[in-house]
Amino acid sequence: MKKVVVHPERCVGCMQCMVACATAHSRSGELFSAICEIPLPKPRIHVGVGLYGEGFPNRCRHCDPAPCMLACLPGAIYRNADFDTVMIDPDKCINCASCAMACPFGVIRYHEDIFAPMKKVVAVKCDNCIGRQAKGLIPACVEVCKSNALTFETSAEALKRKTNEVARTVSAEAGITAAAPGFNLLNAIKKTQNQLKAN
Amino acid sequence: MNYIIIGNGIAGIQAAETIRQMDSESGITMIGDETFSPYCRPMISLVLEGAIPPEKLAIRGEDFYEKLHIEPVLGNRVTNIDVADRQVIIDHRPKGGRKTCFSFDKLLIASGADARPIKAEGLNLKNIFYMRGRSDVLEMMETLAKAKSALVLGGGLVGFKAAYGMMKRGLEVTMLIKSGYPLSMQVDEPAGNLILKELVRHGLNVRVGAEVSSFEGDRHVTGAHLSDGSVIRCDMVVIGKGVLPSLSFVPRDRIKVDLGIMVDEHLETTSPGIYAAGDVAEYVDIARKTPWVNAIWPEAVNQGKLAGMNMAGRSVAYKGSLSRNVIRIFDMDVMTCGLFHPPDDSDHQVISEINPRKNLYRKLVFKNDTLVGMVMVNQIDQGGLFAALIQSETPIRIPKEAMLSPVFNYKQLL
Amino acid sequence: MSKNYNEKTITTDGQLMLKKAEKDQLETVWDRYEAQLPQCGYCEMGLSCRICNMGPCRVDPFGEGPQKGVCGADADIIVARNLGRMVASGAASHSDHGRDLVEVLEAVAEGKAPGYHINDEEKLKRVAGEYGIDIDGKDILKIAGELAHAMQEDYGTRKKSLTLLQRAPEARRKVWEKAGVTPRGIDRETSEMMHRTHMGVDNGWVSLLLQAVRNALSDGWGGSMIATDVSDILYGTPKPVQTSANMGVLKADHVNIVVHGHNPVVSEMILLACRDSDILAMAKSKGAAGINLAGLCCTGNELLMRHGVAMAGNHLMTELVIATGAVEMLFVDYQCIMPSLGNIAGCYHTKMISTSDKARFPNMEHHEFHPDNAADLAKILVRKAVENFENRGEVYIPVDPVPAVGGFSVEAIIGALGGTPEPLINAIKAGKIRGAVGVVGCNNPKIKHDYGHITLIKELIGNDILVVDTGCVAVATAKAGFKNSEAVQFAGPGLKEICGAIGVPPVLHMGSCVDNVRILVLASALADALGTDISALPLAGAAPEWYSEKAISIGVYAVASGIYTVLGPMPPITGSMNIVKLLTEGLNDVLGATFAVEPDPEKAALLIRKHIEKKRAGLGLDSRDIK
Repeated sequence: MKKVVVHPERCVGCMQCMVACATAHSRSGELFSAICEIPLPKPRIHVGVGLYGEGFPNRCRHCDPAPCMLACLPGAIYRNADFDTVMIDPDKCINCASCAMACPFGVIRYHEDIFAPMKKVVAVKCDNCIGRQAKGLIPACVEVCKSNALTFETSAEALKRKTNEVARTVSAEAGITAAAPGFNLLNAIKKTQNQLKAN
Repeated sequence: MNYIIIGNGIAGIQAAETIRQMDSESGITMIGDETFSPYCRPMISLVLEGAIPPEKLAIRGEDFYEKLHIEPVLGNRVTNIDVADRQVIIDHRPKGGRKTCFSFDKLLIASGADARPIKAEGLNLKNIFYMRGRSDVLEMMETLAKAKSALVLGGGLVGFKAAYGMMKRGLEVTMLIKSGYPLSMQVDEPAGNLILKELVRHGLNVRVGAEVSSFEGDRHVTGAHLSDGSVIRCDMVVIGKGVLPSLSFVPRDRIKVDLGIMVDEHLETTSPGIYAAGDVAEYVDIARKTPWVNAIWPEAVNQGKLAGMNMAGRSVAYKGSLSRNVIRIFDMDVMTCGLFHPPDDSDHQVISEINPRKNLYRKLVFKNDTLVGMVMVNQIDQGGLFAALIQSETPIRIPKEAMLSPVFNYKQLL
Repeated sequence: MSKNYNEKTITTDGQLMLKKAEKDQLETVWDRYEAQLPQCGYCEMGLSCRICNMGPCRVDPFGEGPQKGVCGADADIIVARNLGRMVASGAASHSDHGRDLVEVLEAVAEGKAPGYHINDEEKLKRVAGEYGIDIDGKDILKIAGELAHAMQEDYGTRKKSLTLLQRAPEARRKVWEKAGVTPRGIDRETSEMMHRTHMGVDNGWVSLLLQAVRNALSDGWGGSMIATDVSDILYGTPKPVQTSANMGVLKADHVNIVVHGHNPVVSEMILLACRDSDILAMAKSKGAAGINLAGLCCTGNELLMRHGVAMAGNHLMTELVIATGAVEMLFVDYQCIMPSLGNIAGCYHTKMISTSDKARFPNMEHHEFHPDNAADLAKILVRKAVENFENRGEVYIPVDPVPAVGGFSVEAIIGALGGTPEPLINAIKAGKIRGAVGVVGCNNPKIKHDYGHITLIKELIGNDILVVDTGCVAVATAKAGFKNSEAVQFAGPGLKEICGAIGVPPVLHMGSCVDNVRILVLASALADALGTDISALPLAGAAPEWYSEKAISIGVYAVASGIYTVLGPMPPITGSMNIVKLLTEGLNDVLGATFAVEPDPEKAALLIRKHIEKKRAGLGLDSRDIK
C-alpha cells in the first residue's frame, strides 16, 4: 500500500503543502473560494521550524498502535483498515485534548471543520486524503510538493531508494556530490547565524 | 484457564479485551459493582455540564460481554480474596441461587478507587454528593434542575469539574479550597493563579483555607458551617476530596498494599498469578522515581492492556506511570505532566516563560538532562511531545530554552 | 518572545527596552520574524519567480521537481532576474532621494523654497565646475539653478556617461568601459533593469548581472553622489562635531522630537523649527526645559553629521524608541520605516507624522512637506509636539547617552590630515595603518543586533585597520564607545598612534547611507595619490547585518568600484551556484574585486585582513601572514 513518506532534508519550508491540504479539506476544493468559507478550512500538515530556521513538514504518522487512539476518552479515534489510516470521528469527539497529550509528534489541532457538526470544535488531524484516494488521486500535500520532500510510495520503494543511496556512498569511486549544493550553503549560513545568537 | 477480573472500569475492560485477543478459549469472569455497559468515567462531568447526554458515555456496546464470551457478575462488590484456595468471594444477594464464590487461575484486581470520605455533621442530608460515577451524576442532574446555589468542597479534579459543570448550568457556585489556588495537585502556582482568575472572572466564588464542620438542613441540605464560624447557604453540595484505591477486600498479609496495591513491572502483585491495574494499582512513577498511584484514565488503559498481556502468557514490561492532565477552562487550556514541582536541589532545573501578550505560560522541569515535568497554559497542541520526552526519559541535547518557545516543535528534537 | 534579550541584541538599551516592550505587550520586529519561520527556501535561494502571470514559478534545487519556469528560464536566469530587480529598487530609492534634493536646489535657485538656502557656496562652485558650468562672475543662485538642471540631465536619457564618474580614477573608468557597465543615466539604468527583467527580454544571467552592476553604478556615482553633494551644498559640508548616541539621548525634562527616514529635506526644517525662539518659549511655558531633537537611521545621521544632533537608535531600535514613552512626536519621510510604528505609537502618547507624498503608513497623521511649505509646516507641527508634552504617561529612559564624534566628510578628513591625504597614505605605506575598511549597512533580526558590526570592527581596529562607517553601523559604533575620546584604547598600536596624533577616533563616522559615496571619493583620492586603481588599494567593505535592497545596490557599486566586500547575511543567490561563483570569484577578472559572504564577524575579519595584506603585497608594501 502506498503511503506518504517524508524526506525532511528536502523541505524548503515553502508551506505549499499546508495550503493544498487546507484547500483539499474545504467545501469548494478551490483555493480562491476556500479562503472565504466559514469555517475557514485549516491544514492537517504543519510546517514547523527547526533550530536553524529549516522547514519540516509535520504530519500524522498513522501510528500502529496509535497513542491517540488509546488515549481517546469517548473512543472517537479508530483505524480505517482499507487505507491503514487513523481517523477521528468528529461526532464522537468531545474536544478534551487527551489526544494532544498522547501524540508524541504534536500533529493534532482543534477547530471547527466542515466534517464536524456546525460550530463544534473538534480534534482534527491528517486523514491521508482518503476522499481523494478513493477517487484515484494522491494526497494533496504530496501532489504540490515541488522538492519531493513528500512522496507517495510503498514503504518498500522508499526503503529501496534509501538503501541504494547508502550503498552508493560505500562505492570507492563514487564522489559524493551534494544533492543541492546551494541549499546546503544556505543552510550552513543560517546555522551559523543562529548559533552566533548564543554568543 | 480461568481468568477473573475484579472491576469493569477501563483497566478491567482493556485487560479483558487483550486476554480474549490472545486466548479465545479460556473463561473470563468480570465482577463489577456498576451495571451500566462500559462507560468513560472522566466524561461524566460533561454530562453534568450539559455538553453530552448520558447515552454518549458508553464506550462499549450493551453486547460487550456477550461478544467476548465474558461472564459478567454485575451489581456486586467483592468482599474478600482467598489467596490460598484461589477464590474470590462477593456480597451475597439472594437472587435465585446466585454464585458467591468464584475460582480463578489468574486474577486481576482492577477495582478502581472510591471517593475519599470526609468527616462532618449532617452528611446524611439529601443533595450532598460525591461525584465518582455515572449514577452520582444522574442523581446530581435531578437536583440541579431545582438548585440555585452549590457548594463544592475541594479544588482537585473532581471538585473542579463539578464546579465548572454547575457554573455552566447557571448555578451560583462557591468553592472551598485548602491551598491558594485550585488543582494544586495538577498545576503549579502561576498556572493555578491564572486558572483561578479565569474562574473568578466567570463568576466563581472561592474561599481559601476554610473547612466544613457541619451541614444543616431539614431533610435537604440548606447550608454549611465552616471552621471559621461563617455559614454558606447552598442547596447542593459536591465533595471532591480525592479518591482512595478500593482495596478493603484485599488480604494484606498475602498481597502487599501501600496506598494502592503494589505491583512489579509485569503488573503482578506480591502474590503470584494475582495482578492489579488501574486506579487501585501502585507502581513506580517515571518522573518521581518512587512508587505512586496515578489514578488517571490513560494509565488505567495502559496498565489494563499490559496486565492482560502478562496474564495471558506474553511477558511485557511496564515502564511505570506518569501523572498527566489536560483541561479546558472557558477560554483557557491547561496541560500538565510529571513532576512539575521539583525538590529544590542542584539536580533539578526549572525554566519557565510567561507571554502576557499571547496569554501563554510554559514551565519545564529538568533533572540533569532529562525532562521530568511540565506545565502549559494555552497552545497545548505540542504537549504530547513533552509527555513523550518525560515518558521515554530521552536526554535533551538541544538548548533547553528552545523548548519554551511557542514555535517549538518535533523538528527541533531531530 | 524569549526572555533571552541578550540573544537579540548586544546593546544595553536594546535589552532593557525589549523588556519594557514585553511588559507593554508590544509586538516587535523580532516577534514577527519568529512568526515567519521557516521562511520559504525557494525565495531564500532566489529560485521563485513572480515576474509574469504564467507563473508563479519555482525551481527545485534538488533537481527532481521543475527545473525551469513556465517561460523556460532556468535557475541562473531566475536568480539573476530577482537580484537585478533588488538592485533596481535599491538604486531607485537612493536616486529618488537625490532627485528630491535636486528639486529643492532648483526651488532655492528660483526663490521658491523659504527656509532653504545655499550653505556651502564653495562646494556649489566646485561641483558646478565638475559639471562644466561656467561660474565666473555668476550669481550663486544662478549657478545653483544651472547645476540643478545639469544634474537632472544625469537622471535622463541624453547622456552617454554620468558626469561624476570623472571622480573615479582613470584606470577604474577603463575597467567599466571594458566591461560595458559605464552608467549612462540614473533613471535610465533602473528603467533598463526593469525592462531586461521582464519575461522574455534579457535571459543571459551574466548580462543581467552586468546590467545590475551598471544600475548600481548609476546609484553610487550618480543618484547617491548627487544626493550627498547637494545635501552638503544646501545644508553644509560636515565637519568634525561632538554628539552622542543611544536611547539616553532622549531627555525626560524636554519635549522630545524624533526624526526617522532619510531625506534632510524634511529633517533640516524640523531642526530649524526646534530652534525657533517662540516655540522654545512655548515649550518652557509648558514646563519643559527645552526641545530635544534626536534622530533614527539615516536622516538622523544627516543631522548628526552637520549639526551634531544625537542618535536615538538604528534600524531595529526604531520601534523601541517609542516604548520609552518620552517621544512627543516622531516624523518620518521614506525608506526603512517599519509600517508597524503607527500601531506601536498607539500604545503611547506619541504622535506619528508622515511627511512624504511617496510614503503613507498605517495610523500616522499625514502632513506633506514640499520645498515651498516645509519651513512653515515644520513650525506648526513642532508646536503640536510641544502641546503633546503634557500628555506623557510613564517615561522610561534606562541609560545614559554615550558621547561620540561624527562629521567626517572627505573634506573634513582631508582637513584633519592637514589638507592632503599624504599623512594617511604615509601611515598606510609605513604599515602603521594596514588599510581601511568601510563597514556599512543595516540591522537584521537574522543577526544578533549590533553583534556583527561591533565584533567585526573591534577585530579590525585592534589589528591596525582604520574603519569608516555609515548608516546603522555608525550608530552601533557610537553606542559602543568606539567614537569617543577613549576609543583609541580599542585600537592596535599603529592605529592608536596615528589617530592619537591626528586627534580622531579609530572609527570615523562618514554619514548616512547615501554618504557611502564619500568612501568612494576618498578611495579615489587615495588611488590617484598612489597613481593606481581603487582595486589595488588595501581596502575592503563590509555589511555584516544588511537587510535592504539599497544595501545590495551599495554592495554592488562598492565591488564594481574595486572594493572587496564581505556580507553577513546571504543574499538570495544560492539557487545558482554559477552566480555564487561569479560574485565571489569571477567578478575579480571583470571588476578587480569580489563579494564574500560570512555571517560570523570574527571569520569575516580574518577574510578582510587576509585581503588587505594581499593588496599590500601587491603594492610592494610590507605584508603580514594572517592565520
